[in-house]
Amino acid sequence: MTKDQPEATNSPSTGFSSAIRHWLPWNIEASEWDIFWASTALKLLLFPSYRSTDFEVHRNWLAITHTLPISKWYFDTTSEWTLDYPPFFAYFEKFLSTFALLIDPKIVDLNNLNYDSWTVVAYQRATVILTELVLGTAVLGFIRGSVEPPVQRIISAALFLHPGFLIVDHIHFQYNGFMFGILLWSILMARNGNKLVSGILFAILLNFKHIYIYLAPAYFIYLLRSFCLSPAGRIQTKNFLSLANAVIAVFVVSLGPFVLMGQIPQLRSRLFPFTRGLNHAYWAPNFWALVTTVDRALLQYIKQTGADIPINEFGVFSTSRGLVGNTVFSVLPDVKPIHTLVITVAWQSICLIRLWSNPTYKSFVTALTLCGWSSFLFGWHVHEKAVLLVLIPLSLLAAERQAYFRTFVIASVAGIFSLFPLLFTPTESIIEVAYSTLWVAFVYAPLSRRVYEYPKSITYVIMDVLEKVYLAGFPFLLLFVTLFPIWASRRRQDNGEPDAGYSKLEFLPLMATSVYCSIGLIWGFCRLIFIYHYEETTYQGQLNEIR
Amino acid sequence: MHKRGMKELVVPGVIAVSVLVRLVMGLASYSGWNTPPMFGDFEAQRHWMEITLHLPIRQWYTYDLQYWGLDYPPLTAYVSWLCGLIAHWIEPQWMALDQSRGIETPASKLFMRLTVVVFELLVYIPALVMFARVWQGSRSKRTQELALLTLLLQPALLLIDHGHFQYNSVMLGLTLFAMNFFATGQDLLGAFCFVLSLGFKQMALYYAPAIGSYLLAKCLYLGPTAGGKLFIRLAVVTSLSFILLFLPFLPPFSPLSIIRHPISRIFPFSRGLFEDKVANFWCASNVVFRWKRWASTNFLIKLSTLLTALGFLPGVVVLLRAGITLCMALNDYSAQRKGKQSHTPFLPLLPYALLTSSLSFFLFSFQVHEKSILLALMPVTLLLSGAPVDSPVYSWGVLVNNVAVFSMWPLLKRDGLAVQYIATLLLWNRIIGYNPVRLPPKSFIQFISMAAYAAAIALHVLEWVITPPARYPDLFAVLNVLISTPVFVVAWLWSIKSGIEVGWALGGLGGERKPSDEKIAVVKGSYRQVGGRAVSLGYAQTRRREADRSRASSVVAD
Repeated sequence: MTKDQPEATNSPSTGFSSAIRHWLPWNIEASEWDIFWASTALKLLLFPSYRSTDFEVHRNWLAITHTLPISKWYFDTTSEWTLDYPPFFAYFEKFLSTFALLIDPKIVDLNNLNYDSWTVVAYQRATVILTELVLGTAVLGFIRGSVEPPVQRIISAALFLHPGFLIVDHIHFQYNGFMFGILLWSILMARNGNKLVSGILFAILLNFKHIYIYLAPAYFIYLLRSFCLSPAGRIQTKNFLSLANAVIAVFVVSLGPFVLMGQIPQLRSRLFPFTRGLNHAYWAPNFWALVTTVDRALLQYIKQTGADIPINEFGVFSTSRGLVGNTVFSVLPDVKPIHTLVITVAWQSICLIRLWSNPTYKSFVTALTLCGWSSFLFGWHVHEKAVLLVLIPLSLLAAERQAYFRTFVIASVAGIFSLFPLLFTPTESIIEVAYSTLWVAFVYAPLSRRVYEYPKSITYVIMDVLEKVYLAGFPFLLLFVTLFPIWASRRRQDNGEPDAGYSKLEFLPLMATSVYCSIGLIWGFCRLIFIYHYEETTYQGQLNEIR
Repeated sequence: MHKRGMKELVVPGVIAVSVLVRLVMGLASYSGWNTPPMFGDFEAQRHWMEITLHLPIRQWYTYDLQYWGLDYPPLTAYVSWLCGLIAHWIEPQWMALDQSRGIETPASKLFMRLTVVVFELLVYIPALVMFARVWQGSRSKRTQELALLTLLLQPALLLIDHGHFQYNSVMLGLTLFAMNFFATGQDLLGAFCFVLSLGFKQMALYYAPAIGSYLLAKCLYLGPTAGGKLFIRLAVVTSLSFILLFLPFLPPFSPLSIIRHPISRIFPFSRGLFEDKVANFWCASNVVFRWKRWASTNFLIKLSTLLTALGFLPGVVVLLRAGITLCMALNDYSAQRKGKQSHTPFLPLLPYALLTSSLSFFLFSFQVHEKSILLALMPVTLLLSGAPVDSPVYSWGVLVNNVAVFSMWPLLKRDGLAVQYIATLLLWNRIIGYNPVRLPPKSFIQFISMAAYAAAIALHVLEWVITPPARYPDLFAVLNVLISTPVFVVAWLWSIKSGIEVGWALGGLGGERKPSDEKIAVVKGSYRQVGGRAVSLGYAQTRRREADRSRASSVVAD
């Protein structure tokens, strides 16, 4: 976009850029700098935006790791936001707290709860921007040495500017950009044939945030099959030992101190609290959201018609409230954590068998996506933010073929839309919608032309039309979600008193969002599984050239 | 993006991105946020919506003047009334008479912020798009789009309109429409737009000498018959538009005495020489001369008026001279043909004249706000938007823009817009591809830029590290003025110099000379600059191309 594209990269007089070039192994192009600076400016402008409680959570962790000795990190309960991430993240917070001390000592005061002065906001938000550079360098790495750099450049830009990161990291407040940066570095290493480093990076990532365990099966199978075994099936002892030792070393560094202190049970109870319900407060758009909706619909049906079906009274109460964490079905049989685990593992196994027989890079990325996807759709107490586990690796496959691209578009639109309820303040809501729309437009326009394929049969045409109708429904859903609360509050005002009938409907927009998005995400999952198992035998896409 | 076959998406994309930036800016705090009892400009604008909505027109300019009495011209009042109507429909509490003072809910803030964005989308942004099409029509699409982006993300306007909270873009957009219509030869429409601009915010008067003398020069250029006709038409249109604007305050709608109220509110000579600290001549020289101590207000008004007039005189003279000389030089054209021409040959002078005029008002006139620099920034950014990187016009444009933002730092800091200050400057300088180190070495402009940036950065660092001594609480604000004012003064001199150069170059295109002579005249001496500047306005380039296609392109290329 700048005027100086040719000069900026070629002129030898620019000492700054040559110094940068010395530090970074790649020649960063002017357009890449443009994206970086423009997005940084945008993120800076987001400093004063709404912050969720996660902001205070992370501030509290800064204080815990700074003031307390390591032995008390996982025991402190001064704030209700106790430390529940693995040790590497705690070490990371400890590192950040040393600088926080220089900026404003009150940030790391353990008893200074809900501190929200300008200094702490600026500091914490700035750390998100800075640590996101891990993601930035990873996506740059994907461009270098890719099969088709122009396409990869679009995908990389799309990843770096992903609305998910903008909404969850820069407004809501988390460090997903940093975490996914490590994941993408790990995938990049796998692409470049450096599988040992890939495995080590993934082990490190697991010790930063344990949610990535959703993806671990794909890593395990891929590294075992393609790194520890020869194509013929013989064990590569040297590879196996080096990988095993390296991964064990990572875990020793992370968990070692806590093993020595005998705190592993405490860590486990903090990291894996199994006291929560099937659905999160706002249902993540997954399979269980659909099941819960069916249950409610059945309940209404029974109430209306008086059909003779046993009803769980506890479930009636649960469904009428909607926001209660623990979901109990009133008509359908209840679901226990073990059920969700079995279903998830079953779906994952279907993908992993295919990965075992075909351990290429592209197959690995697809299996990785599908692993995350099955966990997201069928897991116990899944958060809506976990959809990034699907969207980020899926983006790497976006430009493969029309089939992949369509899956990517449906999943991205549905997944990003499902993140909208995270922000409920008026200005931020407008910003997230505007930004996401722009992102979709800017990604869709160049990629759709590249992958366009002529439909082969009438089935494809029907599917294409139905998918387009589904996508076209999102603006109407947005309209409904926006206008319904206004309409309800107007009606309530007109009626004078808060009417029970309307307050019951408060949950309706959230439910509609969950259900509509879950349809898209489940359909996308089916699509990708099908593509994965019945791949075209002719042209496969650019990533097939990577062995 | 062009390469990817998405040409038609670029302009909507650029506009969409800049609207997004505006929305994100809206998250910031604004003038007078959470500071009862008076709050700030945000509350003033909201209060005007409230009073225009609830009171009869004759009370608009008289109601409780102590609490943000209306002191903008009627068009602002009408627009406020419209916004008030919509706000009342959405949520009556936002605009309840007297009860709503100081209301600051997230939703009301969003509504107010959105009104600024919507008016910008309705007025300023179309004006910019039209400017790129009309004034840079002969340039490549890419240049036009880049120009649009440069103008859309101009940091000072973003910070004041969408951070601090004002509606300057409407006034600027209307003036820009006037310029566009002058460029397409629709002078009457242009005059009407300029009256609207004046009717929105009296500050547009800063442009009046330039606009007035341009139209007068056009009349002179067209010769006695056609010019006389145009003059009469312009006079009629202008007066009628003013009457239309003030119609509700005039008989038969109101008694004649009512018209006094808006007039006395719009021109407040009862205030001081300058308010706060503003980077103009008066405030800067006050450090030495202490004007307010020994000079009476009356004397200062006269002196400032005189200096302002002297300040914009060169711009006016150059325009009128161009009108007269070109009329005489080109008298071999038939008058009709001149009339039919959509372009006026001295059109490229207009932005320079606007710059000279607005800067002289900013530097020398009475009662100037730091925000008034926005008026000078519009013409200079228009010039910059079409100039090649590293040309003098480009360098001056960037310098004046950056220093203008710096000069508003005390205000922005008070409004809590420090992060926005950094972010918008960063974004804009990156987008336009500015690199202060890469300026043509050892040029005057590089020297000035380096000195100004070094001083500005040093001041920021000082302010961060040291708290000012109790004796001089305004120390940093005064130092800011002392850094910014010289830059504006030099920019003002530069605008006069370039105006004269461009005017002289145009005068050089006399009728007796052959096209080849023109070329020689342009190539000699320091004319690369003149060429570059004329190129930046597109029009002159086209003219030259018509005269001598092949050679002109070679000049543009080097």
